Amino acid sequence: MVETFNNLMLGFSVALSPEILVYAFAGCIIGTLVGMMPGLGPLAGISLLLPATFGLNPIVAIVLLSGVYYGAMYGGSTTSILMRIPGEAASVMTCIDGYAMTQKGRAGPALAIAAIGSFFAGTVGVIGLMLLAPTLAEFALRFGPPEYTALLMMGLFILAYMSGGSMLKTLAMAGLGLMIGMIGIDIMSGYTRFSFGLVELGDGVGIVPVAVGLFGISEILLTAGKGEMPDVQKPKLRDLIPSREEFRLSVGPIGRGSLLGFLIGIIPGSAHIISSFVSYGIERRMSKHPERFGNGAIEGVAGPESANNAAASGAFVPMLALGIPTSPVTAVMIAAIMVHGISPGPLLIQEQPELFWGFVASMYVGNVVLLVLNLPMVGVFVNLLRIPYAYLYPCVLAFCILGTYSVTNSMIDVWIMLVMGGLGYVLRKFDFDLAPVALGLVLAPMLELSLRQSLAMSGGDYGIFFERPIATTMLGLGVVLFLFSIKPLIFKTKDWRADVGLDEAKG
Amino acid sequence: MMHDIDSAPAKKGIRSDQFSGFILLALALGVGWLNLEYPLGSLREPGPGFMPLLLAIFIGAMGLLIALWGGKSDPLAAIEWPEAKRALVIMAGCIVVSFALEPLGYRITIFAFLIFFLGVLERRRPLPAFLVSLGFSLISFYVIGDLLQVPLPRSPWGF
Repeated sequence: MVETFNNLMLGFSVALSPEILVYAFAGCIIGTLVGMMPGLGPLAGISLLLPATFGLNPIVAIVLLSGVYYGAMYGGSTTSILMRIPGEAASVMTCIDGYAMTQKGRAGPALAIAAIGSFFAGTVGVIGLMLLAPTLAEFALRFGPPEYTALLMMGLFILAYMSGGSMLKTLAMAGLGLMIGMIGIDIMSGYTRFSFGLVELGDGVGIVPVAVGLFGISEILLTAGKGEMPDVQKPKLRDLIPSREEFRLSVGPIGRGSLLGFLIGIIPGSAHIISSFVSYGIERRMSKHPERFGNGAIEGVAGPESANNAAASGAFVPMLALGIPTSPVTAVMIAAIMVHGISPGPLLIQEQPELFWGFVASMYVGNVVLLVLNLPMVGVFVNLLRIPYAYLYPCVLAFCILGTYSVTNSMIDVWIMLVMGGLGYVLRKFDFDLAPVALGLVLAPMLELSLRQSLAMSGGDYGIFFERPIATTMLGLGVVLFLFSIKPLIFKTKDWRADVGLDEAKG
Repeated sequence: MMHDIDSAPAKKGIRSDQFSGFILLALALGVGWLNLEYPLGSLREPGPGFMPLLLAIFIGAMGLLIALWGGKSDPLAAIEWPEAKRALVIMAGCIVVSFALEPLGYRITIFAFLIFFLGVLERRRPLPAFLVSLGFSLISFYVIGDLLQVPLPRSPWGF
């Protein structure tokens, strides 16, 4: 514990330096704006900002990008509550009761509870990250290629089990992402695969054009021709204070949402989205008056908002401790760190203590910045929502092209982004979840390499996965979850998604 | 949704999940065919074609299962595409930009791109459309290109 405290102090000495503070502040503001803009979620925002971080030192880069990430979580709630437009997918559940509260003239308290809940959840998430990541990283030092293969396989099964939509479709999309990840030079044999004669594809397909295309461009294509934004309320500072009853009702959902969100955040998939759905379902189920949900229940704002912010912190645990992204956002962040020659993984915390602990401390700072910044300035931020969508989306498109091009200064990336945009548009029409595609793309090289290294180690004997306790346990867990996933398909029963209302909400 | 039995009216014709499942199966077959070019290696020493083949089989199997379980999904014809025409124009605009960006430079291309979108596609008033297009192309170049020092393409005239 003393060691953790000393490390945290080291982190604060980094995070409180003026340069880091400025970038944390800038990241939070950019993130809030990004989260409020339909068509620009945290992933697209981070991807677009990625090239600008190449010239920064790695600590500054990750602080800036993570500021954008949790800033976007805050920003998304503002449009959900005031306009019933989720700035990003994790805020969908906040729309229901948040907007109902706005219609009843209680927009201010809804915004305040969302901000307080997010702050508390962010803090819980950071404490969890601080305590869990070093332990997990120490444990992961025992991992060899078979354990990494089993871990990645288990991750894919968990992704299928926890996905918001159909398990088969999620697995198919993960497979598609893994397949896209096969494009480029095979590092073990030197063969260039599926490059169609394009030299630029030798390095493979980058996460940025895929993420911006799938999530940014497809959103713009889906909302093309949308009318003007509806009128937006501009709450005053004095209207933001919740009543004593609203506070009392929010305490439980904030606490539960924070813990639940952090735990869901660690596992792969669209954790911040799923956590908000699950939290809403649990709060509705636990309420003595479930009929209030949908009509302006403050618990319906407090729970999901806390959960999605805690999940954002939870996602950093496997990213920093194992070097494995569990979401497209963390995949882009890993790319940002790797540009600087640093590999996230079990050795990161030992070899780069300033980076890890500076990042943890900057998250504390970022949470305070967001609370201090967002509530008093909500009136300023909502002005952005007055910009007509007809002006907004061409500028977002231009940003997407600019951001994607500038990662490698290659027009091939822009074409990949456009192809992915078109593909994402069609896939969303057919109700496919896109996050597994991006995740599969990032995991593909790791999975292939660890599988082939494992087989090389064992002389082609697949028994290696069943001889090593850690690998066997992880594979066993994956298979059990897979069996749970297919049970509703075979026996035509309802699964956990129906229990938390995920099916009806998405459908 | 696949499990939504009651809400889907019983109409004849192919279902959306059947269609998407068969497309995935076709994709898997295509990948499998392209993969013939690469050595598979052996189980002891997998070659570059090993993993893509496994993935093609996996995607094909998933596609088949989606199609088989997709009988109760919404009819394919029920999927509406009201925004498709505009989406195609947007894509066309982006494709033109991708070809013009390097020869014409960032500022000129993005200015023309925004003028097209705001003035022609969205029919905004000329003056605001002009000012937004000019302002965005110049300011974004200044912030991203000059302040953050991200190299952006310039026109042959240095602009």
